[in-house]
Amino acid sequence: MPEKPPRPIKILSSLPLNLLLNGVLIIPFIIMIYLALVKWSPLVGVNWWNAPFGGVVNFQRALSDSRFIEALGRTALFVAIVVPLELLIGLLLAYILQKPFRGKRFVISLLIYPLMLPPVVVATVFYLFFQPYGPVNNIFLQYVIGPRALNIYWFLDPTLAFITIIVADTWQWTPFMFLIMYSGLSAVPKRLIEAAEVLGASEWTIFWKVRLPLIKPLISVAVILRSLEAFKVFDYVYVMTGGGPGTSTESISLYIYRLAILYSDISYAAAVSLIVLAIIFIVSYFAVKILVGRR
Amino acid sequence: MLRRILTNALMWLVLIIAVVWTVIPVMWMISLSFKTYGEWRTPSLLPRNPTLDNYIMLFSPQALGIFIAYTAILEPIVGPLSRTLIISATATVIAVMIGFFTAYGASRYNSPGPFTLFFTLLTRMLPPATFVTPIVIYFTTLYLIDNIIGLILLYAATTVTYAIWILKGFIDAIPVEWEEAALLEGASPLQVLFKVIIPIARPGLVVAGLFIFLMAWTELLFALVLTNLNVPLSVQVSKYVTAVGALWGVQAAAALLSSIIPLVIGYLIQRHLITGFTFGLVRG
Amino acid sequence: MGGEKASSEKPKKFDPDRRQFVITIGSAIVALGIGYALGYLTKPVERITTTVTKTVTQTVTQTVTAAPPSPTPTPVLEYPELSDVARRAVLGVKKLIADGVVPKGATLRILHVAGSKAQLEKAIELWSKYVPEIKVELITMGTEPDVYTKAMSEAVTKTGAYDIVTIFSTWLGDLVEAGLAKDITVYFSKYDPEYVGPNAPIEPLGSYTTLYKGKRYALTLDSDVFTLTYRKDLLNDPKYKEEFKATYGYDLKVPDTWEEVINIAEFFTNKKLTSPRGGRVWGAYFYVEPAFAAYISWTNIFLEAGGILFDLETMDPKVDSPEGRYAFDILLKLKPFMPPEAISAAWADLYDKYIHGESVLTAAWPSLTKMAISSPDSVVKEVTGTALMPGVKLEIGGKPTIIRASPNPVNWVGIVSNYSKYPEASYLFLQFMTAPDIGLEVILSGVILDLFRESWFKDPKYRPKAAAGYGAEFLDAYLESIKISYPDFIIRGGPEYASKLTTAVNAVMAGTMDPKTALSTVAAEWDSITKKYGRDAQLEAWRALAQLFPEPIKMAWKAKGYMK
Repeated sequence: MPEKPPRPIKILSSLPLNLLLNGVLIIPFIIMIYLALVKWSPLVGVNWWNAPFGGVVNFQRALSDSRFIEALGRTALFVAIVVPLELLIGLLLAYILQKPFRGKRFVISLLIYPLMLPPVVVATVFYLFFQPYGPVNNIFLQYVIGPRALNIYWFLDPTLAFITIIVADTWQWTPFMFLIMYSGLSAVPKRLIEAAEVLGASEWTIFWKVRLPLIKPLISVAVILRSLEAFKVFDYVYVMTGGGPGTSTESISLYIYRLAILYSDISYAAAVSLIVLAIIFIVSYFAVKILVGRR
Repeated sequence: MLRRILTNALMWLVLIIAVVWTVIPVMWMISLSFKTYGEWRTPSLLPRNPTLDNYIMLFSPQALGIFIAYTAILEPIVGPLSRTLIISATATVIAVMIGFFTAYGASRYNSPGPFTLFFTLLTRMLPPATFVTPIVIYFTTLYLIDNIIGLILLYAATTVTYAIWILKGFIDAIPVEWEEAALLEGASPLQVLFKVIIPIARPGLVVAGLFIFLMAWTELLFALVLTNLNVPLSVQVSKYVTAVGALWGVQAAAALLSSIIPLVIGYLIQRHLITGFTFGLVRG
Repeated sequence: MGGEKASSEKPKKFDPDRRQFVITIGSAIVALGIGYALGYLTKPVERITTTVTKTVTQTVTQTVTAAPPSPTPTPVLEYPELSDVARRAVLGVKKLIADGVVPKGATLRILHVAGSKAQLEKAIELWSKYVPEIKVELITMGTEPDVYTKAMSEAVTKTGAYDIVTIFSTWLGDLVEAGLAKDITVYFSKYDPEYVGPNAPIEPLGSYTTLYKGKRYALTLDSDVFTLTYRKDLLNDPKYKEEFKATYGYDLKVPDTWEEVINIAEFFTNKKLTSPRGGRVWGAYFYVEPAFAAYISWTNIFLEAGGILFDLETMDPKVDSPEGRYAFDILLKLKPFMPPEAISAAWADLYDKYIHGESVLTAAWPSLTKMAISSPDSVVKEVTGTALMPGVKLEIGGKPTIIRASPNPVNWVGIVSNYSKYPEASYLFLQFMTAPDIGLEVILSGVILDLFRESWFKDPKYRPKAAAGYGAEFLDAYLESIKISYPDFIIRGGPEYASKLTTAVNAVMAGTMDPKTALSTVAAEWDSITKKYGRDAQLEAWRALAQLFPEPIKMAWKAKGYMK
């Protein structure tokens, strides 16, 4: 491959991207940075371009805001639980579905159906599910622990509420991991598999030594993308627990939402968002380097 | 031999569990959409008096009086549905196209370089709530409020990074030799792109396209803030509320209906998920 | 794949290469230009309005005269079938049209929430009978936070997209300070919506929902006063009366104090009754839910105990006080006798439980009573009683007095946008739709807007219709409740103050925080909100608001020295 890209490729591969991202997102982003550096809220009554300068005041406030730090930690914990869970289940399912069988396309369509629903609706469904009058308690009732199940109030206990959010997220997003890995596994050349089988390798070995290394880049991509999204978890928390009880399940996205939209604390919210952005940026920089680095 | 049977049985078991686990909430949603108002808060899996009221409400909202608390009359769901279809489809096409070219350049020529690529992830790192005010200010100046072009551009810009990263993963896996061979045979770089890469990267295109389509299809926050009268589907669904709470049955019905189009797309794209590797390159 | 960084690698923003920099900025500007052009060319066209034009079968046969009369009374009375308030509004608009201030065919846009659509459409229907030249269009949002978000957005972008916004009175402070709500005091004087006199909105509600820092910014569309709703059949049952007297030593009756509420709640919860649909019957259900309503119950008890929210001299939060602790004390004592879902479910759950017969004492908006007596699912149609909210016994001037006050949370009011093209006409629409005659019809055609003018309760011209919609017993109790009702936190930052309080109350009820910590946390959080907006500005608003609280509360404040 020539070192320098030929003219048309060079233009095509950077100009449209530049136009799109810069045209749509740069100016609002700069506005956001500006808002974080001033002390402004619509309630202050001055135009946003006349706002008094604040410097790092908002950032200092964020660093001593325990609700913010707790929300950060909580959300990080959530991501650390949810992403590996979805990865493993998705990988397992993708592997199982490598074998052809009748109605496979139908089954796959079924398995990826959760992705087609708006997260808000999924949140509502699971909200109803975990109510005392919902199916979870009434099915548990019948099979697992008897009539006491009717007295389990999922949203009253911080841990149980946290679990419900994990359940909702897993239900909706495992298909994401599954789909990526399924397409990746399907792309493994059959000839390699056949060659390995001829050499007498067991199915387990084939999986570990042939398939997995080949889809590693895709796994990394999937994990990075999914983690970024999981960090922004909002709908499930908002609808199902409202961040409660108290603020014990409040995700960082919900906190920022409340700051920006309910309390109209725009400058502070912008500062908090930028801090979150910086943290995620740094963490994912190293993650990408490790996972995808070689390229 | 026994091992093989056990492993097979185990795999079938896992598959069945996965399917059941996926299907139960969906079945419950379906039954919710056929339940009457009073039944929405009950645990029964099947409605006792199944009714089509929730669906009727979607298409001819003039059917007032179905719901006790005088719900709002809204436009039939067809309008928002078609609007969302246009928005999602256009945004997907733009994002996938731009993402594809960028991914190719990045994969083969490091143009744009790895740092730029990483930078595009920035668009997914930011919690959306604070971005609302700046975007509203910006779009108002550009007359892009209540305008489908505004949403299309916003969705394309915020999801193009998905296309880039997924496609790059697929393109990286294609051996360079095939392109070099084609180039040696006199094909122009663009021809190489279209005739060699695209067919093989089809699964990537299709997967990225589906995700981007779904993200545009279900996005709510910006759709809400950037539109007044020309609302897309997600906003419309949020409006099925009454004075005493949300119309869960109607929302379930609306969500089910609106998931049909993505479902059909999801089914149709599956044959593209198998790559052309097995076809091999016969020439040369 | 070209391992070392090839020379063509160009990190997006940090490369010193001038060419790349120029490309970035250049493409941003080009894209800006294209976007502007695209947006301008495709911007949504001014909509032809789609007002509801049902044929009205009223007995009005009067044709509108062609010559628009002046608003001052003329010898021949135009529109004799209309009340004075409505007539002044209609004549006022006609004059504006005749003077060219408002063109014919102009459209007024109202931003509102979905639940009020039926009532607003009724208002529009009646309006278009008298003023067909001006169309009114509805922009509907699904939930109240959406309306708030849009209103705030409009305050920042000032596009004039809405002429009228229906808002919670709680947001009035925010929207005035943000510059969205227009000062309409001058229109009040010019067109007299009768906020004084027999037709007036019942005081103090008429004042505290429309005044901010002494000026008028809204017309009230609604009242949202809580009443105590109770099961008449259970409280009047002779067997229970006997058992209750034996256990507690006094007669079973509608509770006057919160301690009595606790007793009744305990009594009935221990009976372990079941509802027709198989659910458990709880003695009480008061709001403690996390999304927004928990502050209502706590503040109710707090104020009745004589607590004051902020110091009238310094704006220091005064929630960390004996009254605050007392409020938590009561709520925690009530907790075992309330359904556990109260702590996590949405506000509609309270309604659901009561109409299915699963709570004995409860309190909510008037819509609860409406639902209880008219919903097909309700099993308590005949047995719903209404009373004033229970109070707190205090010593006032040496005498023990029961201080009662009813919360008036949210309460829809209508504001005119400062950026509206036709502010005067918008105001007149609001005056029209809240007039004594038109207003009653509007309210009775829906659920979320409720009665607020005194004549609707007392005047024989209006009372029968109101009684048909709400029930006669409810009407009398409701009127009394409005007279002792108190406002939400109608100062700038009101929603935030309330939200912090709600979170804390909910945490205490859920057991994740103890009352002492909760109170000091809330006090600290409130203080930082106050500092954010400026102590003096907040104090001015709070002082003005405090004057509008009902007499019983002011009496308690004075007795405790909080108010001079």
